[in-house]
Amino acid sequence: MKQLISHVLAVGVFVVSANVLAAADIAKGKEASAACVACHGVGGHSTSPMFPIIAGQHADYIIHALRAYKTAQRKNPVMQATAQVLSDEDINNLAAYFSAQAGLKTLRR
Amino acid sequence: MKRLITYLLGFGLLLSSAVYAAADVEAGRVKGQTCLGCHGIVNYNNAYPSYHVPKLAGQHEAYLVSAMKAYKTGLRSHATMYGNVADLSEQDMQDIAAYFSQDSQ
Repeated sequence: MKQLISHVLAVGVFVVSANVLAAADIAKGKEASAACVACHGVGGHSTSPMFPIIAGQHADYIIHALRAYKTAQRKNPVMQATAQVLSDEDINNLAAYFSAQAGLKTLRR
Repeated sequence: MKRLITYLLGFGLLLSSAVYAAADVEAGRVKGQTCLGCHGIVNYNNAYPSYHVPKLAGQHEAYLVSAMKAYKTGLRSHATMYGNVADLSEQDMQDIAAYFSQDSQ
């Protein structure tokens, strides 16, 4: 019985910690966001009309957009250059950080 | 002669006001009905690849116009977005952007 419990615990710890490792890291995203602030504002609250507010945007949409810039499927010189240096992990962390900020909403009819 | 100049100036003003007509939220509400099919549904998903369609409420108008133009000119490729913006005029885009930039509750 004791052995069973330790097995269950071991599996539990392994699964949980693996999930935590795979999850995007908001704190790391905040650190990595320094390059974004100049245009997109602190926390993604851009005050410049030409640069989108990204605070509160869906994380998976941010990931999609950054990957598209990185692979030049979306063409924008500044964003292509910026996204070029981001790893998949950076992109996931940035998306987690910006999507966690209060900001954009879905327009209701 | 003076009167002619005044008329011409007046006419010129009229023209420029037509060209730079202010974005019209109400017109945008009508023109933007199609957009709501995806952008007006909370957590709606794009298909292939699957991700949430972007939230637009509270976004800057100028950015929304530039994004629509990017889909129209191919700087961004997305078949559905191209289909929806290809026939929009500058005024249509400004009206729709004004409508969507409103903050939503």
